[in-house]
Amino acid sequence: MSQLIRLEVLRVLRNRRYLFFTVVFPAMMFFFYATSFKNQTFDGISYKTYYMVSMATFGTLSASLNTAMRISLERKSGWTRQLRLTALPGWVYVVSKVIAAGVVTLPSVLVVFGLGAVEGVHFPASTWLGMGLAVWAGGFVFAAAGVALGYAAAPDTVQPITMVAMMAMAFLGGSWFPVTGGLKTVGQYTPVYLYNELAKYPVNGVSVGASQVVGLAAYLAVFAALAAWLYQRDRKTV
Amino acid sequence: MTTSTEAAVNQDSTGAGRKDFAEREANGRPHTEVAAFRNVSKDFGTVKAVHGSTFTLHPGETVAFLGPNGAGKSTSIDMLLGLKDPSAGQVTLFGGTPRQAIMNGRVGVMLQSGGLLPEVTVRELVGFACKVHPRGYAVDDVLKTAQILDLADRRVDKLSGGQEQRVRFALATAGDSDLIVLDEPTTGMDVTARQAFWSVMKAQADAGRTILFATHYLEEADAIADRVLVMHKGRLIADGTAAEIKARAGQRRISFDLHPQDGGDASLLNTLPGITALDVSGHTVRIATSDADATMAAVYRVGLYPRGLEVTGVGLEQAFITITAEATAAEGN
Repeated sequence: MSQLIRLEVLRVLRNRRYLFFTVVFPAMMFFFYATSFKNQTFDGISYKTYYMVSMATFGTLSASLNTAMRISLERKSGWTRQLRLTALPGWVYVVSKVIAAGVVTLPSVLVVFGLGAVEGVHFPASTWLGMGLAVWAGGFVFAAAGVALGYAAAPDTVQPITMVAMMAMAFLGGSWFPVTGGLKTVGQYTPVYLYNELAKYPVNGVSVGASQVVGLAAYLAVFAALAAWLYQRDRKTV
Repeated sequence: MTTSTEAAVNQDSTGAGRKDFAEREANGRPHTEVAAFRNVSKDFGTVKAVHGSTFTLHPGETVAFLGPNGAGKSTSIDMLLGLKDPSAGQVTLFGGTPRQAIMNGRVGVMLQSGGLLPEVTVRELVGFACKVHPRGYAVDDVLKTAQILDLADRRVDKLSGGQEQRVRFALATAGDSDLIVLDEPTTGMDVTARQAFWSVMKAQADAGRTILFATHYLEEADAIADRVLVMHKGRLIADGTAAEIKARAGQRRISFDLHPQDGGDASLLNTLPGITALDVSGHTVRIATSDADATMAAVYRVGLYPRGLEVTGVGLEQAFITITAEATAAEGN
């Protein structure tokens, strides 16, 4: 399995699309927000912190949903078929995709956090670590969603669905600007909103909010079940 | 299964060791079947893709799966490899399920198209296949055998069609497998590339491996295979050596000239035994016969003096057309 993970990580890191949407784009957006909002605050935290977290989660979201495109393409090209003709068990493919997504998320988080530090965001080491872990762990929710999407349809359908889903979720989840009023009524139940909240929790020095964790865990369960079902369906049709 | 002795033999990756293994199995011990279809059918809705197919592959054979597109070759191969389950009947590979055989690294497969990973180099992809094979070879040896050592550092997504086929071949031969399955391996190759491909493949067969390949090129089946399975509209309609299949379809061709000065009555040609077709144009006589020996004996007996005599077998192509036409007619009845 480590062989396949190695191959997957290599491939993603060589992909320019990945580099742009996962590393360059969130970093650029953070830089833009940080210079526009300077030292203003929102809900008790600085905008810089707010956008540092939401751009880190956006990078993860993008990397995870990129998995959808890859799975869909590889099903079409027959790579999944070729893998089924090796000694590797079938589930190794999906697991290595999720793990590879987890690994390649790291550079995007490090770059955005690094920029944050440069821009004057100060935290104790434990807070940085807590935020990093929260962003990383929450990413698996979206990796599961990526696997489900990848098995749901052909590449030309998956691509637009992925883009729309990513933008809509990021919008409702408050990644671009804090959601308030009516948007918040709807938005606060969406997975990216919960993800952003979870990732910001260490900042307030409060322990992780149970409702966020439960909410995200529920999304993880739903996405994983969907992924498992679609994966089984795919194996029957080759 | 005699797992312990097999494991010992399988460790030996030399050609000589493999040959012994194949011969020992062919001699009736420990088990003599590589793969078996027992009355296998596959339906897709109301379409019968494969219909009551029964055959056994033996160690060391090179077998061609011959038939036009849509004959059921690919569906049969998918079932053989466990990618599709049969609707009825039983498929076994090395005495177990196809999945077990694949997990044990006993089968190397070359798919018809696709199945390659972009964004990696040829060496990385083939190296991966070598490492996941339970008895994988060194990547450089595999690249060398497939004659793609010079492409090792090229990206897989930047190869020509013929180069891609050689990479697929390398994936199929990345480890010490006993059976190699190739689904229309030479599709899209030019004549030179095809010849080069089969000479490499021949080396695999000479090392004692069992080879099954699907093709719709009759000349390939004729030139490469020890045994030909002919599929037509989902049915296995012939199973034998290329020579046997040609013989079953009939037939030999006789041609000679009759010169008036030699005497003899050309109208007697109609009375000859075994004739299935007769064509006289000018002095030249062309005969198709089911019994060339009897036909020629009779030619001399009736007092004809043939010059420039030639007796040839029909090609597999003609045999194939005859057999499939028979099968279609039989279906009509």
